[in-house]
Amino acid sequence: MTATTHSEGKHLGPAQYVLIWVALMVLTGVTLAVWKTNLSYSARVVVALSIATVKAALVAIFFMHLWEEKGVARLVLVVSAVMVTLLIGLTIADNATRYPFANPPYSESWMDAPFRKDAPPMQAEPGPVKTSPATRSEHPGGH
Amino acid sequence: MHTEAAAQGRLAHHFPDMKTQEHAARMGMWLFLSTEILLFAVLFTAYGLYRFLFPLGFEEASKLAHVTMGATNTVVLITSSLTVALAIHHARKGENRKVVGLLAITIAFGALFMVLKGFEYYHHFQDGQLPGRFYHYAGVTGPGVSMYFTVYFLMTGLHGLHVLIGMGLLTWVAVRAARGHFGPGYSTPVELSGLYWHLIDLIWIFLFPLLYLV
Repeated sequence: MTATTHSEGKHLGPAQYVLIWVALMVLTGVTLAVWKTNLSYSARVVVALSIATVKAALVAIFFMHLWEEKGVARLVLVVSAVMVTLLIGLTIADNATRYPFANPPYSESWMDAPFRKDAPPMQAEPGPVKTSPATRSEHPGGH
Repeated sequence: MHTEAAAQGRLAHHFPDMKTQEHAARMGMWLFLSTEILLFAVLFTAYGLYRFLFPLGFEEASKLAHVTMGATNTVVLITSSLTVALAIHHARKGENRKVVGLLAITIAFGALFMVLKGFEYYHHFQDGQLPGRFYHYAGVTGPGVSMYFTVYFLMTGLHGLHVLIGMGLLTWVAVRAARGHFGPGYSTPVELSGLYWHLIDLIWIFLFPLLYLV
């Protein structure tokens, strides 16, 4: 590796890549295992998304060579991540703090609106979410 | 191997050396990837927003996703990321034959991913689990249920398109590797298309838990 085009001394070899791959596989397994436990729904969501973030970081830092990258190229991904967080966070915060009727009809906040009983009746209200397992077809992929 | 031979004649006149040129190339690729991230971010925002507005509908609808195939596809994509990373490693050393082999495996994994995705789509179409007003599945009904499938098809569809583009890119790079183009001084095309492929993996890492589990 005499004429590499990268900063010296930080190169990863096949052994490290395989190690990262093993870590990613284990994390995928943990995600699925935790999902099937009896933990509360929100706890499982937090675990699933935290593990996804760790996996993404592993891919970005090692597979995408941010580890051996210099300076500003690292900054691009960090800035993107911040912007994505802002975009998603602020959009949901906006809808979460709206007057209920400003959200789409039949959404949860609209259903819970304190004035809803006084509101004129809406046409063709689809009503609550219903499931009827009997009509579900069988899939080879399973559920 | 043939040190710097691969770099012969590839230096643009406005760069002082290959090292600077390659750094600029990867910098540009990262900027492009950031626009890709923001493209998907809009869809992730749509997902987050409608999930917030219709939590019950999304919870019930996401149970219709085929978790086994989704999980298999996660394994397939992560493994294909490994083979790309190894391909880049060998491209830097000028071992072009290994690069061709590893890229061929990667492309095969990409094809496998698309085939499994196709089966999933087929089942959803068969059952009428479709976006918006095309939704006609009687098993789960209610507000927000068809919106889940709108978001599902938009996100996995755009992601699948990226997988196809990535397979095309890697095919082109594999052909160049077969002609012995890469070596210690020059591996930029392998690096950049590799970055693109890793981004596809990165996005799927978030899509899988959000669409199939949560």
